[in-house]
This record gives sequence, structure tokens and C-alpha cells, in this order.
Amino acid sequence: MLFNSTEFLVLFVSVFILYWILRDHRHQNILLLVSSYIFYAWWDWRFLSLILISSIIDYSIGSKIYSAKTNRRKKNWLLLSLISNLGLLSFFKYYNFFVDSFTELANTFGWQPNDLTLNIILPVGISFYTFQTLSYTIDIYRGQFKPTRNFLSFCTYIALFPQLVAGPIERASNLLPQIERPRKFKKEWFNEGLLQITIGFIRKIVIADTLGVYVDTIYANTGIYNSTSLILATVFYAFQIYFDFSGYSDIAIGTAKLLGFKFNQNFNLPYFSRSLTEFWRKWHMSLSYWLRDYLYISLGGNRKGIKITYRNLMLTMLLGGLWHGSSWNFVIWGGIHGTVLCIEKLLNANSLFTSIRKIKFLGYGITFLIVLFAWIFFRAQTFNSAITAIKQIFSFSFGPPYIGNISIMVNSILVLAIGLLIDFYLKYRDINLEEVGRDYTPYKLSFIISIMVIFICLFYSTSQNFIYFQF
Amino acid sequence: MFVLFNITKLHLFSILVNMDRKKTIYVFKIIISFLLISFIADKAVYLLFNKISDDVYSGQSIGKLNQYLKTKNDFDFIVFGSSRANHHVNPNKISNNCYNMGVDGTMIAYSHSLITLLPQKKQTILLHIDPSNVFSNSYLGEDIKALKSKYNRNSIVTKNIDQLGQNNIFQKFYWSLGYNKIAIPIIKNFFKPKYDYKEYNGYDPIYVSKSQQKIFEKILNEPKETDCLETFNVNKLYNKLLDDLVMFSKKNNKELIVFSSPIYFDYCERDNIEFEKIMKEKQIRYYDFTNLFQDNNSIEFWRDRTHLSNIGAEVFSDSLALKIL
Repeated sequence: MLFNSTEFLVLFVSVFILYWILRDHRHQNILLLVSSYIFYAWWDWRFLSLILISSIIDYSIGSKIYSAKTNRRKKNWLLLSLISNLGLLSFFKYYNFFVDSFTELANTFGWQPNDLTLNIILPVGISFYTFQTLSYTIDIYRGQFKPTRNFLSFCTYIALFPQLVAGPIERASNLLPQIERPRKFKKEWFNEGLLQITIGFIRKIVIADTLGVYVDTIYANTGIYNSTSLILATVFYAFQIYFDFSGYSDIAIGTAKLLGFKFNQNFNLPYFSRSLTEFWRKWHMSLSYWLRDYLYISLGGNRKGIKITYRNLMLTMLLGGLWHGSSWNFVIWGGIHGTVLCIEKLLNANSLFTSIRKIKFLGYGITFLIVLFAWIFFRAQTFNSAITAIKQIFSFSFGPPYIGNISIMVNSILVLAIGLLIDFYLKYRDINLEEVGRDYTPYKLSFIISIMVIFICLFYSTSQNFIYFQF
Repeated sequence: MFVLFNITKLHLFSILVNMDRKKTIYVFKIIISFLLISFIADKAVYLLFNKISDDVYSGQSIGKLNQYLKTKNDFDFIVFGSSRANHHVNPNKISNNCYNMGVDGTMIAYSHSLITLLPQKKQTILLHIDPSNVFSNSYLGEDIKALKSKYNRNSIVTKNIDQLGQNNIFQKFYWSLGYNKIAIPIIKNFFKPKYDYKEYNGYDPIYVSKSQQKIFEKILNEPKETDCLETFNVNKLYNKLLDDLVMFSKKNNKELIVFSSPIYFDYCERDNIEFEKIMKEKQIRYYDFTNLFQDNNSIEFWRDRTHLSNIGAEVFSDSLALKIL
């Protein structure tokens, strides 16, 4: 079930009414769990079993780790959690990828193994809820969190529908306590949530989906368009993926607020970054902080010398890239980010670099160009397609760009300009979007949302899937 | 407003709900005021766009449709179909009183709806159909959505969109959805019309630049995956709409002529043969020009595999005129 579907509207309105009619938070949790499973089963009910298996395994292992007497036992239980969760993820997401890669490698040595690929469907959201369940067991192992005694609460934490299929990746330490205590309806959250949901829809179905039409056309055949068209398509993609995923996060966070939950912020104007390090503090924050806390730090972080730090950084980014999808393109994307992050770390000590960074405009520009270049690998369907796109861009065949349908192009430029203007305004006035609307009167809020809804009516584009659903 | 929002009876409801009375009223206030304000704002925007768009007669977003609705009764020949009708048929080759109502991305549902608006008067309808679409089982008449700007304004269009199940349920409440994605082109054409519609016959030839020709040459050099049909079951909707058009033509003194326009190379020939059989069964005059350029396939006739350049379109229009006149 997509957020931008009538089915979701019906489900959410029904859940919202029933939810606040129920007085006991435990009854509310049952409602949330049932509706979350319906939300997920709408896509494919068979994969509910995977969520349930993950929930049972990590609920049990969480308790075992906590009650284990020795560190060795704790470690063994944690290892079991890692193997089972990452095993399921690897099988469903990476099995065919590794088999294909192995076959290609074997072919280069003249050996032709049998076709071992399987017809596997990637369960929606598996990357997200796997990371959530892992955060639970790892936090317990580290002694930072006590396991819950309530299986229902734990299942609700894993499956809670606003964040089930594409995050934000909520850690148990933030969300589980909220599930286990009574929730109060807060006017401020209701205001913020409604506004954030509406803004999320504008970002997704007005801006991102409109930009996507042009991007899809150009990236469907990167070899035939000139440099200008490819640069334009890549710039459009940079904003398409930003508005798509931040829009999704806005809807998820806003929806959660209406139900009395506070999720962590996931995006904070990431393209206003003077370095890639800053970019990763603002882009998909729930993932980047997860990778930092559970992978980078687990590998030793920056505590074991400069060389190990670079290795850890690269590994984190490469695996972070692979997390996005089973393709070498994502690994290369992660590799580019990792390399630049290492270079930034290296140059950080250099006073020249520090003075360059002080020229804000230069920092913003360079960071954006690096991010833009890396997006080519992220968007292209295959490695060859990405290479062709880069070759075409650097062939410097600058001519008029491919326009296609003129009204689509005009709409794309208009909605992108509006989206950027809003972001510039938020940056200039130092406003956090998540807190907008908190103190509005009902009439002011209704008026603003009404105007936004009319804007959506006039400019929404045929809805595409959220980009991050495929991860 | 005050009376509207003074919902004292909500006390009972708020006892049931896990919010205090004030908060329940607060939520209701927002919901009701939102519905009210957005309803009023929507109607204001809708009426404003109606007013503006009624004076727009250029551009494919609404101008061409308005021109058609205004002048449809005057023509002897009208061409319907997708971009391949729009860009391929020069009406002047057929008659001085011919109009090309082809619109990009549209298929039979859109054409059918416009044809059924024609008066009871002798007219010739030239309908472009791509045979491969006729056998597609996924076609549901989505192209009729291109008429959504007339959804709440023309009862026949409203009925046709509803019958095909292509209405957006929210459009019953938010009428401005009818102007989705066409608001900017409407405003642009209102202030700066693309052409003088009195001189316009609906034909939009494609002038291919050297760089576009190069792109096409590159595409031709790439291998093309073709997936030809093996079973030929006519799409139910296509069948129904074609039968409707035959009936409508008989009742309203129209001559219905169906044609298929050229493609660069026809990888799947059987669909044309099967379609021709169906046309015979339905007693519809049909001309298949799919392979018109088979023996003389110059690259300058084409923009891509299915669209002719202005040069190709002129040759095709001559051939079409020769057959039907």
C-alpha cells in the first residue's frame, strides 16, 4: 500500500479515529499492529511471515543476551541475531547478485558454472526492518537498552506502518519506549504532522514525480543524448531522489505524529552542505547514524589509528552503498562517497583546505558536484549505462537539451523552482520544517493546507513508486 | 463560521475518545474548516481556470480541444487518433474543410468520446488505429483522462469518463483536478497564443533537426527487442468502442474510415493482418499504410521508428488522400 493511494487514506483515517477512541495504549498497539500487517500484506501477504520470523528471533535473542551471564554467551547470542537477520537479508536481496558476480568472474577464467540463480522477489522494506531489529539486539548487547517483556510491543515496533517499508530507521531506544507508554494527543504534534504530511505529498507527487518523467526518458538510453540533456537529467535526478525520499520521510514522520509518536528527523536540507561529511549529517540521517553507530564504530571507528580509520570509513560507505541494492553501481556510489570522505578527513588537518572551506559558496558547489557525479551510478540501470552517461557528459557535446513534452518540461522547472525556493527560505530563516505549524490557529492551518491541496490538484504527476521502496 | 464550529454536542463524543473535549473540538474545527476552505478555494480556482481556458484556442493541452468543440460541426472531414495522426496527416491534402484532431498519447477512448459529440450531419471520420494496440489486453481507456478538463462541464464527456471508470474520485469534490498539469500551458496560451487558431488545421508536422536525425540513426543501430503477439484476442474495450462508432456513424450520417500509419520497420506483421480481418467483419473501410515506405525508406522521412518527419508526413498524406477521395 502506497502513502499516495486511496487505500492508504481510507486505512489511515479509520485507524486514526479508532486509535483515539481506544483508551488503553495496549489496545492501541493491537490496532497499530493489525493495521500495519494489513498495510504490508496489501503488497504481498506471504512476506508477512518474514517480518514475524524476524520479530520472534530478535525478541527471543534480546532477552537471551540480557540474561546471559558471561560476555561470551552474550556475544554468541548476538552473533546468532546477526547471522539470522543478515542471512535473510542476504538471501532475498543479494543471493542472485553474488551468484551472477561469481559466474561472471568464473567466465573470465574460462569456467562456465551451471546457472544457480533463483527466482526471488525482494520483500519490500526488508533492508529497513532488518536494521531496526539489529539495532535492538546490538543496543542490548552493549548494555545501552533493556529488552522489552512485551512481545506485542516489540512486533508493533518492527511493523509500525509509517516507517515499515522505507524508514526512517527508528531505533528501539527511541521508538519502543513510546510504544510501551500511554500516548497523549498533542495539538502541536497534530498541527506539525498535518502540515508535514501535506508538504511530503507536494515533495513526492508534485516535485519528484514530475522531475522523474524527464529523468526516466534520458536515463532509459544514455547513449543517444547530448551532454546538456544528460547533465540536466542528472541534476533533475539529484532533486527527484531528494524530494522523493524526504517527501516520504515527511509523510511517515507526520503520520506518526498524528498517532502520538515522535520519529527522528531524516533529512535536513542536505544540498546545503559545504562538505560531504556535512552532507551525510543531513541526508538519510537515520541510515547514516545507524551505519556510524553500528558499523563504523563496531569496526573500531577512529580509535585505532589513521589507516584503520580510513579503512573503516571506506568499508562503511561501500557496505552502505551495497545496502541500497544488489548492484555494483551502488557499491561504486558508496566507494565515491567513501573516497571523498577519506580525502576530506585527510585534508581537514590542512590549513589551506580549511580556508577554502570558509568560502561557503565554493564548498556548497564542490560538494554538490561530487554528489551529482555519484548519483549517475545510483540512477543508471547498469554499470555500462553509467559509463556511457559519463562519457557522453564529458564529450562536451553541448547543444540544446532534449525537451520532450514541453508542458512536462515547463512543469518540471516550475515545481523544482518552487521546491528550491522553499528550501532556500528555510535555510535563510533557519527554520526546521519539522516544527512549522506548531502554533498555528486551526483556521490558519486549514487555510495553508487548503492552498497546498489546491496546488497538489493542479500540479501532481502520475504517481510512481517511492524510489526507496526498491531498497 | 462561529455557529458552524460551536459543536457543543461533541462533549459526548469526547468522553468516548482519548482526548479531552477541547482537543476533540480542535480536531473537528481543523477538519471542517479545511474541507470548507479547500472546497471554496477549489471552486474559485476552477472557475478562474474555466474563464481563462474558455478563451484559449491554441496548444494541445486545451486549445485544440476548445477549437474542436467550437468548430466541429463545420468540417466535412475530421482526423482522429494519437500523435501519429496529429503529426502525420496534413488535412489540406484531403480537403480545405478538414481538421486534424489527433492528440499526443490518446487512443480510441479519447477519439470515441469526441466523435460522439458530433452532430447529425454528413461528415467523414478518419480514425487512426495502431493494430498492435487493438490486441493489447492491458488497455482500459486511460487516454480518456485527457478530457478531464471538461469533466464537470460536458455531460457526455462526464458520462464517458465515468463509464470507463477513469474518473478520479477526488474530482467529485476537487474540481480543479480537471486542470491538473495543464494549468501553466493554459496560462501561457492565454497570454501568448502559440498560433492563430483561425489559420490552424490541427496538423503539427515534425521538423527534424540534424542532431535528432543523428540520434535516430544511433537508435537504428542498436538491437531492438521485439515481442510479437502469438494469440490475437481483440481488447474488449476496443471492440465495444469500435462497435459504438459503427452504430453512431450509421445513425448520424457519418462515414467511418480507419487507417494505420507507416512505421519504420514492421517486426510483427500478423497483427495488421488480423486487424484487417476484424475491420472486414465490422464492415469498416480500412487502409493499412504500415509498410508504405518499405521500398523507399529514406531516413529523412522519419523522426523515430513510429513518427514521420514533415517530409515523410507529406508523402503519407498524399497517399492517404489518394485512397479515400
